[in-house]
Amino acid sequence: MGVAFVAHCLLNQNSKVREGAHCAGVYSPIVDVLRAEGWRIEQMPCPELAFSGLNRFWAVREQYDTAAFRRHCRRLATAVAGAIAARAEQGEDVVLVGVQGSPSMGVTITSSDPERGGKPAWPDGTPEHTGGEGIFVEELHAELDRRGITFRVAGETHALATHDEGDQRARLQAVLRGGGG
Amino acid sequence: MTRATSGPASRPSCGAAVGDERSFRVALVADRFVNPAPGGLDGLAVLAAAGWGVMQLPDDAYPAEVARLLLAEVAEQVEEFSRHGYVFVLIGERAGLDEALHAVGVPVPPGITPASAAELSEFLSAQPVPPAATAARE
Repeated sequence: MGVAFVAHCLLNQNSKVREGAHCAGVYSPIVDVLRAEGWRIEQMPCPELAFSGLNRFWAVREQYDTAAFRRHCRRLATAVAGAIAARAEQGEDVVLVGVQGSPSMGVTITSSDPERGGKPAWPDGTPEHTGGEGIFVEELHAELDRRGITFRVAGETHALATHDEGDQRARLQAVLRGGGG
Repeated sequence: MTRATSGPASRPSCGAAVGDERSFRVALVADRFVNPAPGGLDGLAVLAAAGWGVMQLPDDAYPAEVARLLLAEVAEQVEEFSRHGYVFVLIGERAGLDEALHAVGVPVPPGITPASAAELSEFLSAQPVPPAATAARE
């Protein structure tokens, strides 16, 4: 058991980009697993909400990969890392639960399309998902490395074409129990 | 589809529906109602069942500077939601929240420190329909 630092939207789907909220408020499939496994829940800020607002467009990593957004993410990462450090100093296990496919909150899968820009129209099914971390997770990772704090990662997978709630639950359980995701 | 009404209900399904399911309702929630002690009120479960989003407030055990930074980020996000007609409530209390909200020009929302799940559910049910939900229906 330990502390799960979860992406903001997992407790508050209102923060999602428009047309992206899978449920009214709390994304229960993740919360239920954390509760059942006895993990404490800590919510991280949404990097995109405060920076680009509620009316932001769906975006890929390259569109957020700017000096200004990275500064914003580093500010958030400093705040979150302070909380993580306080837990780590107590000897608690830390897991980051991100959002796979997210340009900012992906933990092992983010979104990429170097050509995307201009008038916001593109076909569904664009193969934008690619391995890697989102911008905020990358900055938080760097800050935690700097502080010598280790952690494991898990991800909500709703945005992926391969999403399966049972698989998502099993992978999260595996990470919480100390295994791989 | 948007949810226009509040109040206790069976847990809303997640992910099965097509379209945006947001409620336009957000609760600022003291940590003890997100991570309740044994026998404590599980506010997160009540809020999930009622379809409210949750913005967790920093644990009282955090160092003051950590809490201050986290509260500043909470406040900025509240300001963004508020400008777009989302409804807020405060569940419990957190030192420093008033100052953080004041700094971004947002009033402290109506609040409650509930003693029971029923009391919290009743409080949530009494909240107004969010202007953003009305706009989304039109």
